[in-house]
Order: sequence, then C-alpha cells, then structure tokens
Amino acid sequence: MSDTGRSSANSWLTLLLAGVFEIGYALSVGGSHGFTRLTWSLVAVVFFLLTLWALSVALRTIDVSIGYAVWAGIGAAGAALLGPVFFDESLTAVQAVWLGVIIVGVVWLKLADRPAKTQEPVESPRAAQGVAAGAKEAQVVEH
Amino acid sequence: MQWLYLAIADIFEIAVAIAAGKAEGFKNRKWTIATLVSGALGTFFLSKALLTFNVGVGYAIWTSVAGVGITLLGALVFGQRLNWRKALGILAIIVGVVGLQLSGAA
Repeated sequence: MSDTGRSSANSWLTLLLAGVFEIGYALSVGGSHGFTRLTWSLVAVVFFLLTLWALSVALRTIDVSIGYAVWAGIGAAGAALLGPVFFDESLTAVQAVWLGVIIVGVVWLKLADRPAKTQEPVESPRAAQGVAAGAKEAQVVEH
Repeated sequence: MQWLYLAIADIFEIAVAIAAGKAEGFKNRKWTIATLVSGALGTFFLSKALLTFNVGVGYAIWTSVAGVGITLLGALVFGQRLNWRKALGILAIIVGVVGLQLSGAA
C-alpha cells in the first residue's frame, strides 16, 4: 500500500517536473529567435527531450487525460507568466483575460478526453487495478 | 506570416501526438523517431512564429490549437465521440484566440 502511494507521489512529482520543463521549452524556443542563437537553441533541445521524457514517465501511472491537462496547463500558464520576466514583452489586462480563456479551454479539453462517468459506474475497480493499464489504453485511444 | 508558421508547427505537433501514442512508451523505434522528427520540425516552426508572437501568447495558441486538432482528428478519423464537454473546450479556445487577435496580441 505504501509502495503504491510512494510511486504515485513520484509520478505526480515527475508530472510537475514535466510541466516545469515545458515552461523551459517554451521560453527557450522563444529565446532562440528562430534557432539563430546557439545557447538558447541548445537549451531548447535539452528541454524538448526532458519534457518529452518526463511526461512519458509520468503517464505510465497517471491517467493520460489528467496528465496532459496538468502538463499543458503548467506549461501555458508558466510561459505566459514568465515570458515578460525573460523577454521584453507585455500584455494588457484584456489580452491576459483572453490568454486565460485559452489556457482554461485547453485544460478543460484535455480533461474532457476522460471517459464519461456513466461508462464507469464503479470507481474502485479501476483504482484497484492500477491506473497504468487504463492509462495505456487511453493513450492509444486518444491518439 | 506568423500565423502560417504557427499552423505548420501545429500540424507537426498533431503528428507528435499520433506518433507518441504509437511509440508505446518509446519502445517502438520507428514511431519514436517519428515523434522526435515531428517534434523537432514543430519546434522549429514554433520558434519562427515566436519571432512575432509574445512567447506566452504564441505558445498558448500553438498548444491549444494542437489540442483542438487532436480532438477533431480523433472524432473525424478515429471515430471518437465529440461530446459537449469537448465542444465547450474547443469553443473556449476559439473564443480566446479570436479575442487575443482582436485585442492586438496576436
């Protein structure tokens, strides 16, 4: 039982890490200026591989739709918040609201990929079997 | 031009989603390579788009439009249900993108 708990905590930590890597990816791709700046470009390649790796590891145990939603949400919100910190760019309040609508929309859309509750009347068997099998199945279905 | 770059980047990002799904946790070499190549090309065109877009704005539009594309492709090609929840998410993304453009951010 405690083993399952620990591995689940690790998965979520890995997922959060994947989100942070995705922020780094977005910022460094922007900073690379169309891959004309070497250092930013190399950092972008590293973040690209890290985010892909961490996400795939996290999705072995976390439900794919939830995992994608959290990952995309962290990446998009982080890039929006940290963009002005790293680069000379700014948003008006109105633009920030529209950006928020998009981010909420994409998180919602990813979450909506979960099978409807009515198709899964019993919650516990899924939890007992482990999410891994369900996640694998969902991954194939989603794509 | 930045919209064209973003559109091309989105096509590659949708390809990444398909390839990554078939790569079986990157155990399948062919689909793993397809994932990496699509991802690299998508990243390149995203970087071209981000020459014009703010990073936060361009990235959000890119990733959300890819999400819309993946959902629509799933419905049209892979026979998945397009329920009201998905439709609402797609609607929010479209409204947000149009709003950003009308407010001069994109």
